[in-house]
Amino acid sequence: MQRLTKWLMLSMLFAPLLSIAAAKVDTSAPDFKLQDSFGKTVSLSDFKGKYVVLEWTNHLCPYVVKHYGSDNMQSLQRQYTQKDVVWLSIISSAKGKQGHVSAQKANELTQKRSAAPSHVLFDEDGQVGRLYKAKTTPHMYIINPQGKLSYAGAIDSIKSANPADITKATNYVTAGLNNLLAGKPVTQKLTKPYGCSIKYKS
Amino acid sequence: MVRLLYLLLLIFSAGVFSQNTATGPHIEVALVSEHNQLRAGETQWIGVLLTPDKDWHTYWLNPGDSGEAPTIQWYSDADIEFGDIHWPLPKPIQVAHLVNYGYEGATLLMVPINLKQATKERVSISANLSWLVCKEDCIPGWATLTIDLPVADSITPSEHSNLFEQTRLNLPKKHKDTAQFELTSTHLGLQTTLPYQSDWHVFPFRGDVIAHNADQAWAHQANSSQVVISLSDYFATPSEPLNFLVSDGKNGFYVEAIPNDTSSADNNSPSQSLWLMLLFAFIGGLILNIMPCVLPILSMKALSFAQSQKANHWGYPIGVLASFWLFASIILVLKEAGSAVGWGFHLQEPLLIAGLAFLFTFIAMMLWDLLPKGINLAGVGQSLTGESTFTQQFFTGVLAVIVASPCTAPFMATALGVAMISPMLDTLAIFTALAVGFALPMTLLSLSTRFAALLPKPGAWMQTFKHFLGFPMLATVVWLAWVFLSQTSSFGQLWLLSGLLGFTFFIWLSAKVNRVYCVMSLLLAMTFATFCSVKGTQATKVISEQKNNHFSAQKLTELRNNNHVVLVNMTADWCITCKVNEQVALNSADLQALLEDSKVDYLVGDWTNKNQAIYEYLEQYQRPGVPLYVVYAGNHSKQVLPQVLTPEIVINAIQQAKKEINHATSN
Repeated sequence: MQRLTKWLMLSMLFAPLLSIAAAKVDTSAPDFKLQDSFGKTVSLSDFKGKYVVLEWTNHLCPYVVKHYGSDNMQSLQRQYTQKDVVWLSIISSAKGKQGHVSAQKANELTQKRSAAPSHVLFDEDGQVGRLYKAKTTPHMYIINPQGKLSYAGAIDSIKSANPADITKATNYVTAGLNNLLAGKPVTQKLTKPYGCSIKYKS
Repeated sequence: MVRLLYLLLLIFSAGVFSQNTATGPHIEVALVSEHNQLRAGETQWIGVLLTPDKDWHTYWLNPGDSGEAPTIQWYSDADIEFGDIHWPLPKPIQVAHLVNYGYEGATLLMVPINLKQATKERVSISANLSWLVCKEDCIPGWATLTIDLPVADSITPSEHSNLFEQTRLNLPKKHKDTAQFELTSTHLGLQTTLPYQSDWHVFPFRGDVIAHNADQAWAHQANSSQVVISLSDYFATPSEPLNFLVSDGKNGFYVEAIPNDTSSADNNSPSQSLWLMLLFAFIGGLILNIMPCVLPILSMKALSFAQSQKANHWGYPIGVLASFWLFASIILVLKEAGSAVGWGFHLQEPLLIAGLAFLFTFIAMMLWDLLPKGINLAGVGQSLTGESTFTQQFFTGVLAVIVASPCTAPFMATALGVAMISPMLDTLAIFTALAVGFALPMTLLSLSTRFAALLPKPGAWMQTFKHFLGFPMLATVVWLAWVFLSQTSSFGQLWLLSGLLGFTFFIWLSAKVNRVYCVMSLLLAMTFATFCSVKGTQATKVISEQKNNHFSAQKLTELRNNNHVVLVNMTADWCITCKVNEQVALNSADLQALLEDSKVDYLVGDWTNKNQAIYEYLEQYQRPGVPLYVVYAGNHSKQVLPQVLTPEIVINAIQQAKKEINHATSN
């Protein structure tokens, strides 16, 4: 009880610093509301009861190209959306910066690359990206059906832009989701992401 | 666009084969050598020169929040040893709220090489290079660069040698001093020494240690500087030393930081001093053999060994060892029992220092034969001759320890003092060394009578030697009195010295008078010692509480009952975070002004000298250590502040507490 009060007091102190609690593994993933590429407003809370994957993306970033050019990202999207996992690709590139696209262009990219996300979401002002402390593209998150953040970090274990490394690497999203779907805990919950910096609004 | 990029990459990575330069989008790369020739068996330097376009940058070994460090794989047709990249000083590069570590402009990544043998006339060296060049957008690249160098006996500088010279000026230095780090739940504290005042920045080798975009607030002390930095979002407890580069942009040095172990702060290098103590204990044991109450017996023993050749060799040393171990065990049991009831045996405890001062004075008097006769145990020694079975020899050993006790006391007391403040295993080791030293001469005698010749002859010199040993004892007392002064005050030291005077006087007196008076005099000496030690120890608290705002639970309760706002600061000399907080937040002018208010009090608890009162207070807040900051609004509420402070956090907390008190009193 005393510990709880301590934490409450601590969080009260920090409250003015962070208007909303930031994302942290093993705690509730903060809710957000964003427009998708079809103009529909999508909230994280819409998907309560399902596993949700968040993928920060920027189609011109070489590290994203590594995973799309090799069909690695799309096959993950297909594989898991078939298992009723919700896959949200989020673009936090600010207007005028690399990776910022119109809704139409986003849909074209999805089609051209045979991608299969549940939604492509736009976060021009970078609020959701900052909320999740997303730093790079790609930066991956897994949220469990109870709304808790189960994984945050890199897509795989080899930090490079070379597509040849994909097969040699351990894919953390696959490992995490497979464990969760099998009712097991995630072994690696937090890793340092790698890639291009997200082109946030300055 | 992407296709085009790949095409480009393909073209130049294929096209540049066996060339020493390559061009990628927004960057030129080149493989260069400091000399035109290679000489066998000598360390020479080659390097990869990265020249990005203006405003584009490449990365350091830890690229920061994003990006990727360049990698080089080396190949050669000769037996060449390649070293690691010597990274020049990087700088933080800000992109929105993210921070990268890297290089703008041309950068030479130098690598030491060593051609083992001159078996060829020309040597070819290839580098498989990968890089990432970024402005805000990033472009990766790969190339294989090759240079051919002749092998020769004399070497000449190449056209690039200037570049190597300049880069060398920009390389970090290895740091000689050690650095320590400590962790709170949110921050990393780092302590090191800085060569001069400047705008220093800490660059971690690992990308998952600190938040790269966090402010780095330094605090400077006379001999060291501390910085506290937010932990990385990806931080996992490190099991190894952490490596950092500390740089002000012009100069830099590497530090390897080890965990800031608070127990080692009390005792700088425990392992080293343990070896020294063991050596002293062993020598002490040897010296015991030439004490007046031991040497005559030892000589008799030597004679009896000469007579009976079949004596058991091992009974005696084992008996000695067993007695010493028994003594050590008794001390350990007493010590454990003592700490169980809350006595701490720390050298930081002034009462223990005072106790030791009296003990050593007593020993000096004993060595100078100033004690009443009854206290001596000599005379039992006659029974120590003639036996030769294991059991008999064993008890001879035991008896030797007992008989020798009047003379062994000085050494035993020293060992006892050390035992009180050492871990259990160290205590056992010290007593073992003492026992081995004590038993060694006799055991050697029993093995061969030739050693008897080496034994000094008993005589009047023994008495002189014994008296001389009184001086080291008094020297120890001088040192203890000095330690006591730093722990208390000059007033406290006066109490201690007066106590020692009275103590010696009454003991001297007890040797001059008879029976009942003698006992009374001894009792008086004890009373005097106890009274003055306690008085002297208290002299500290009274004085320092008036001077500083020393924490005491009683004082806190009092202030809270009077409806004061109280800021409690639990700190320690060895705490890195505490020092930064004190300099950055607690000493800020705004906060100091706020503390001037007569209704606002500031209490400081110093955990450097661990004590029970502060231990209990920390326990109350479930903290294993410092820092701990609490703001009380009288008895109405309390706020535990975060472990890393800013002036605003403390000021807001105090002002909120003030409001609460005003609100409560106006109702």
